[in-house]
Amino acid sequence: MSTGANAALNKLRKKIFNRTVLRGTVSVCLCLALWELGRAFKLPLLEAMPAPSEIFGVIWKLVVDPKFWANWGASYQRVLVGFLAAQVVGIPLGLAMATSKAFYDISFSAFEIVRPIPPLAWVPISIIFWPTTESSIAFVIFLGAFFTVVINVLGGARNIDARFTRAAISLGSRPSDVFFKIVLPATLPSIFTGMAVGMGITWEVVVAAEMIAGKSGLGYLTWSSYVGGNYPQIVVGMMSIGIAGYLSSYAIRLLGRVCMPWLRIF
Amino acid sequence: MSELKGQISIRNVCKVYDPEGVNVCAVDNCSLEIAAGEFCMVVGPSGCGKTTLLNAIAGFHGISTGEIHLDGQLLCSADYTTPPAADRVVVFQNGALFPWYTVLENVTFGPVVQGVMTARQAKRAANDLLGELGLRDIAQSYPGELSSGMKRRVEIARALMNDPKVLLLDEPFRAMDALTKGVVHEFLLQVYDRMKKTIFFITHDLEEAMFLGSKVVIMTTRPCRVKHVIEVDLPRPRDFQTRSSSRYLQLKNQVVKAVHEEAKKAFEAGERELA
Repeated sequence: MSTGANAALNKLRKKIFNRTVLRGTVSVCLCLALWELGRAFKLPLLEAMPAPSEIFGVIWKLVVDPKFWANWGASYQRVLVGFLAAQVVGIPLGLAMATSKAFYDISFSAFEIVRPIPPLAWVPISIIFWPTTESSIAFVIFLGAFFTVVINVLGGARNIDARFTRAAISLGSRPSDVFFKIVLPATLPSIFTGMAVGMGITWEVVVAAEMIAGKSGLGYLTWSSYVGGNYPQIVVGMMSIGIAGYLSSYAIRLLGRVCMPWLRIF
Repeated sequence: MSELKGQISIRNVCKVYDPEGVNVCAVDNCSLEIAAGEFCMVVGPSGCGKTTLLNAIAGFHGISTGEIHLDGQLLCSADYTTPPAADRVVVFQNGALFPWYTVLENVTFGPVVQGVMTARQAKRAANDLLGELGLRDIAQSYPGELSSGMKRRVEIARALMNDPKVLLLDEPFRAMDALTKGVVHEFLLQVYDRMKKTIFFITHDLEEAMFLGSKVVIMTTRPCRVKHVIEVDLPRPRDFQTRSSSRYLQLKNQVVKAVHEEAKKAFEAGERELA
């Protein structure tokens, strides 16, 4: 084996087998052990919970069941549609509010009145308003991410250091150059913060909406497991939501690193 | 070499700020002639209104009375302000390299947005300039990776890319340690010796002013007025050893006295710093 590959392998080994990872593993194992024993010894609170061993039994049955993955797909599809719509509408709106004082004056008050209404409070009216359940769920998800996105973009774009715009003007920029080459890149970190936070809210909302009105999805899976008395499956549903949310924010972080190479140096 | 450009004529300029109806006179009847290709240092206590003058030349704001001319053309008067343009590029106090662009992208920014060069031409020209200034190795770095001294050098290179008539430097080396400052000073002197641009350099560091400038203009405290103009006849090219020559020390002494008086006045008047 070449020395280069050896060095890479060593690096990988160090990355996987180090004290931090070991501690993390111990922590997770301890939790699982406590949980399992709590059920066996009928400790309070843990007594009613399905034990990890029961859950693993259910997982093996579920992962080979295409219906389980269909629920993943359904939730992901809703999240993606609502989330993307929130970006497509929210980012330009936030930028417009930040760059035009007139537009800000007109839109901000209305925006601020609507913003505190929790997404779930919109469920009844959106069911009435939208023709299908699916579209009303998508709308509620959209709202969940939308306000966070706008507020973050607005804050980011308004706090751009005047030095940068002045320098750009001094170097001969037209207003469009200032927007595309200064305002936009300077706002990108805030856009990605908005995305990350918005994605978290999106998952909260999708699960709740599916519990209320859904016929599929991870929220529906969790709730119907409860209704059907399949308690281990509730936990599997919860874990699935957690993992799905984690994967989504991981994807956003990855995208952020690609889009903002100048932040990679830290 | 072509005819020198960048002659600045500041004639009886006043600038009155009017926040909440209280007239604050930042610049009062200030007149100053700067020859084309002159290295002019403007020194004054903090908050005396030097930056106001620089911003007026740059075109960031207007003036209340008087006129400023560049190469015989009116730059601004009471009712006219030429908008900022790349013929008088500003290098700011805290540095304003765009963090999201690499050094090369920063340096090509001016010619590309002005449309005077294509991206490819600008890249070639920028690489030449960076090479000439000893900055080629960092062309692909982001500003966040560079030391403060490096950043300033890149920023000066970015300004030079536009072939400006005037370089406007607003305390560019302010928060820098002495060693870094020494290096950047020599860099700027080399740039000046090679390019002979008019430089309008604001500072409150007297030694810096004496060391770099051909002319040191000492301002009074607010309202800002010209108090002394000292011609610095130290030979060029200068280097760090210039600072220990007897002529330098003699001149420095003279200037220190003049500014100390003003600083004391400003201190007693309890002036706050006006950015």
